[in-house]
Amino acid sequence: MHPMPPDMNWLDSREAVSLVELSTACGISSDDLVELIDYGALTPMPMQSERFSAHYIVQLRTVSRLRVDFDLDIFTAALFMKYLDRIEELEEELRSLKARSITTGQ
Amino acid sequence: MKYKDYYATLGVPIDADLDQIKKAYRKLARTHHPDMSKAADAESRFKEVAEAYATLKDPEKRAAYDELGRHPAGEEFSPPPQWQRDAASDVPSFDEADLADFLARMGRGHMGGYAHEPRSRRGRDYEAAIQISLEDALSGKTVNLSLNEGHDTKTLEVTIPPGVAQGQKLRLRGKGAKGHNGGENGDLYLHITLAPHPVFRTDGHDLYFDLALAPWEAALGKDIQVPTLDGAVMLTVPAGTQTGRKLRLRGRGLQDGKGGRGHLYAVVHIAMPATLTARERELYTQLSQVSTFNPRASATKEQNHASHAT
Repeated sequence: MHPMPPDMNWLDSREAVSLVELSTACGISSDDLVELIDYGALTPMPMQSERFSAHYIVQLRTVSRLRVDFDLDIFTAALFMKYLDRIEELEEELRSLKARSITTGQ
Repeated sequence: MKYKDYYATLGVPIDADLDQIKKAYRKLARTHHPDMSKAADAESRFKEVAEAYATLKDPEKRAAYDELGRHPAGEEFSPPPQWQRDAASDVPSFDEADLADFLARMGRGHMGGYAHEPRSRRGRDYEAAIQISLEDALSGKTVNLSLNEGHDTKTLEVTIPPGVAQGQKLRLRGKGAKGHNGGENGDLYLHITLAPHPVFRTDGHDLYFDLALAPWEAALGKDIQVPTLDGAVMLTVPAGTQTGRKLRLRGRGLQDGKGGRGHLYAVVHIAMPATLTARERELYTQLSQVSTFNPRASATKEQNHASHAT
């Protein structure tokens, strides 16, 4: 197996990050992130209450940008996150269905 | 410095209250945001609107802006001497500076006559996108990225490790813009897409491809040479293979970044010859006469159930 360079991270569930790291990477304060946890938009890793899947970095950076661009409050940002999650899931499902379907000879 | 009419940009009167300003901004943001608008100038229009809002929503910045008086948009004007004194340490050329830069600096406590120590500031993050082939995703690839840094373009060599899937995001720490006054460097966020492949389709770390079989190959089974990213291998097609069946080649997919590999699936479809020779027709006719196979048996059964039910 090729070792991952020390300064490189997968931004998916293969890696976990702390709340402080999430805050720095996404430009959202720790207090606001705690509010997102309260709203159920941000969930810690199973068995690790202080660690979060690194995939949240990508999602929260998008949410952070939209929050600034549209001057949204943190509750609306939490709703956005849920919809972004759903879009991601559906895109994944669509890609998976397309990959598994026969494309020729039909 | 060029004057910008922020009230006109948002379409609000100069005595508009914060609610009016916010409402006007949100309406314009909804119209011009690059995620919502396909117009070629969407991004620049949105930036103008956002710049106006950043100043007018902040009472301190708005007051400073109002002090400039009203000028026609685009007219050259001379900012108050205090601005020029405060800016001297940070802005190399005052004449070329942008009004937004000065107003943005107010929010960071740079202006207003207070003495200040240079504050350390983290460098900006970069975002970059790159498309690589499936072969490169499997083995890893060193690429040269061109990044825009202000007016300059810098090139950064990045080694993408094996293990990327479609839509993979990577973070390279410290590869963003340099920090200021001892602040940390920013990070580089890399979005990777996999180029469409003529044979394989991806699903996570698994790969799929279409495998055409002649009716007799599907019926009798056969060892067939099939492509993989590692070169051709033999695949055993079992007798009685149906269309749509997925035959798995274990560990022939993409690296999963955890030391293993996804699988490769051959998706079977049975292909019919477009025309039959006389001999083929004769053999099919014989087959149709001796075979007891009814491909619609289950459909017929369901139909009977349905008709009994009504």
